[in-house]
Amino acid sequence: MIETTEVELFERSVRQATERHTGEALDGALREVGWLEALTDDAFTAVSILFPLQGAANAVSFALDHVVATGLGLKRTTEAVVLPRLGTWAAPGAVTDGRVAIRGLGTRALLRSDRAVVVAAHERGRFKVATVSTSDLNVRPVQGMDPAFGLVDVTADDAGFGAYPDGSGDTWSAAVVLAQLALSYEILGAARAVLSLAREHALDRIQYGRPISKFQAVRHRLAEALVAIEGADAVVTAVREEPSSELAAMAKALAGRGAQTAARHCQQVLAGIGFTAEHPFHRYFRRILLLDQLFGSARSLTLELGDELLRSRRLPMLLPL
Amino acid sequence: MDLPTFRKTLDDWLDQYASQLVPEHDGRGTLDEAMAQLAKVKRLCYESGWMRWGWPERVGGLGGSPILRAYLGEALNARDIVEPDVYSMTEVLAPTMISFAAPELAADMVPRLLRGDEIWCQGFSEPGTGSNLASLACRAIRTDDGWRVTGQKVWTSYAQYAKRCVLLARTGSQDSAHRGITALFVDMDSPGITVRPLTAMHGSDEFCEVFYDDVAVPFERTLGEVDRGWAVAMDLLPYERSTSLWHRGAYLQRRLERLLAAVPPDALSAGEVGEVAQSLLALRARSRTTQYRMAEGQQLGAETSIDKVLIATAEQNVMDLAVHGIAPDVLIGDDATSERWRAEYMYSRAATIYGGTAEIQRNIIARRLLDLGDDR
Repeated sequence: MIETTEVELFERSVRQATERHTGEALDGALREVGWLEALTDDAFTAVSILFPLQGAANAVSFALDHVVATGLGLKRTTEAVVLPRLGTWAAPGAVTDGRVAIRGLGTRALLRSDRAVVVAAHERGRFKVATVSTSDLNVRPVQGMDPAFGLVDVTADDAGFGAYPDGSGDTWSAAVVLAQLALSYEILGAARAVLSLAREHALDRIQYGRPISKFQAVRHRLAEALVAIEGADAVVTAVREEPSSELAAMAKALAGRGAQTAARHCQQVLAGIGFTAEHPFHRYFRRILLLDQLFGSARSLTLELGDELLRSRRLPMLLPL
Repeated sequence: MDLPTFRKTLDDWLDQYASQLVPEHDGRGTLDEAMAQLAKVKRLCYESGWMRWGWPERVGGLGGSPILRAYLGEALNARDIVEPDVYSMTEVLAPTMISFAAPELAADMVPRLLRGDEIWCQGFSEPGTGSNLASLACRAIRTDDGWRVTGQKVWTSYAQYAKRCVLLARTGSQDSAHRGITALFVDMDSPGITVRPLTAMHGSDEFCEVFYDDVAVPFERTLGEVDRGWAVAMDLLPYERSTSLWHRGAYLQRRLERLLAAVPPDALSAGEVGEVAQSLLALRARSRTTQYRMAEGQQLGAETSIDKVLIATAEQNVMDLAVHGIAPDVLIGDDATSERWRAEYMYSRAATIYGGTAEIQRNIIARRLLDLGDDR
């Protein structure tokens, strides 16, 4: 565990990095401030510091690849990691007869790396951590909803692979927990930024001779946005204390849904100006929509939870005092 | 006493005394039965010490963190031993007495409440004073040795059972708003008090009208400073949104669990069930941090309005799910269990009304948490 004052200093330097840089420049800045060491030493602290700031700055970095690799228990790696397809947290690879088939996504780290890590299901619900040569993959850079994110679509029908020397595929669920936590923080960081934009707009925008922040309809929409964010935030923060798959999945679902609720209310308050491409709202909105779909969406995670509750007819006892 | 020890020993005790603690009535029971059950459980818990942990020694407590109170109420609610509505009065009114009553008065009175000897009520709302509490009109006029109170209160829960009332009365000029209110601790058997229960739509007469006709209240029964009753009210309201809210959250989890056990296959979709469970978890996580903030001695304030919005939403979500999932019970069942679901469903409609409406909570969030300034 890192000391409190150290955490504050570290947070300040990470904040500066995310506010000034994005993409490869941010990767370099994060390396320089020691974020990778922090991730190795205390993954939960490193994740809880970077991802809210990255979300608030609408920045992109290599961090998600490293978070998944750390969750998998891999030693520090410069390789890219293949992520699950949209809406699911299932491992993106499947092994048959010593070859791997892949249906997944990646960050732009995949375009730079020679090799990529891919977690692949094989018989009896077991997983293998494999490394594949990126030249054996079909990699399609995606523009899509959020071009600034730099997403790539990754497929392979029949690729050779090497087993990762110091990894064990049983850690996939730990990697999913850490990735869901990171993404939840990033989503809420983006949602708070959107709320802050809408709040400032409400205070500045004059109609009928007064700021629209005086109108109860506007105030209540902003209040609604804050409730959605804070309700999700409480669960996301608790994952650190109780890092179970159940809690991380619920945190991710609440963050994704809460951020979309907040975005809907805030866009209404931002009205015309928020609908222009020059206003930053749409960039946050695009990011929220995309991040919601990575490692399980609010919808898919909620359906999974509901199925389990209806099947077991029991409510798991989470977060005891 | 630390929480792990308290939890373990309390859980064992609750198992051991399960047959004595369980309500004698089926379902929700009548209000008389609920009150008898509350008194029985509080007395047993007080005698065994559980009800005294988390309260200061000067009011009959055994000291320790308020977290212990949060856990006691959670355990009692989760086992269907008490109803959160009747149990919550202690958590709302005892802290107010401890903060604002003269020490001798608090030392004399609070143990009666903890032990279950007495029910207390809270005289805030009036026919003309709902959301706008500062406009209250019930008047207290200064006499040589105290006050004479005249006016009308409404929505006073359990007034027909109550021995005492924490009453807000106008002591300043008519237009003094929040600056001219004084809090008084009134004996409900004082001459001049008339209680008239109202039957509410959930079939219970827990809410009452209370008429005060020139009621004498000794000066020692003033809570806090004269004309500073607003501070008492502002201190009390966050308590409604802390420990007792945690207890109510535990009750809602229990009800969702009961619903999951009772629902026929395919009556509910996975999506709606999952979403309700998530809304309860968000409430739990949020309220849990509030419990720890309170235990650390932090002053609770406007941020508890978020807890309140979360619980009102979650409560209505759980009960909406019930009316869809077990419609034959809730709508046309006439047994005690169905009657209970029906009453709870109806009661949940008030979750966005009592204790500060959903709109008032959002006003507080907008002004105090989002710093949007006033709305005029």
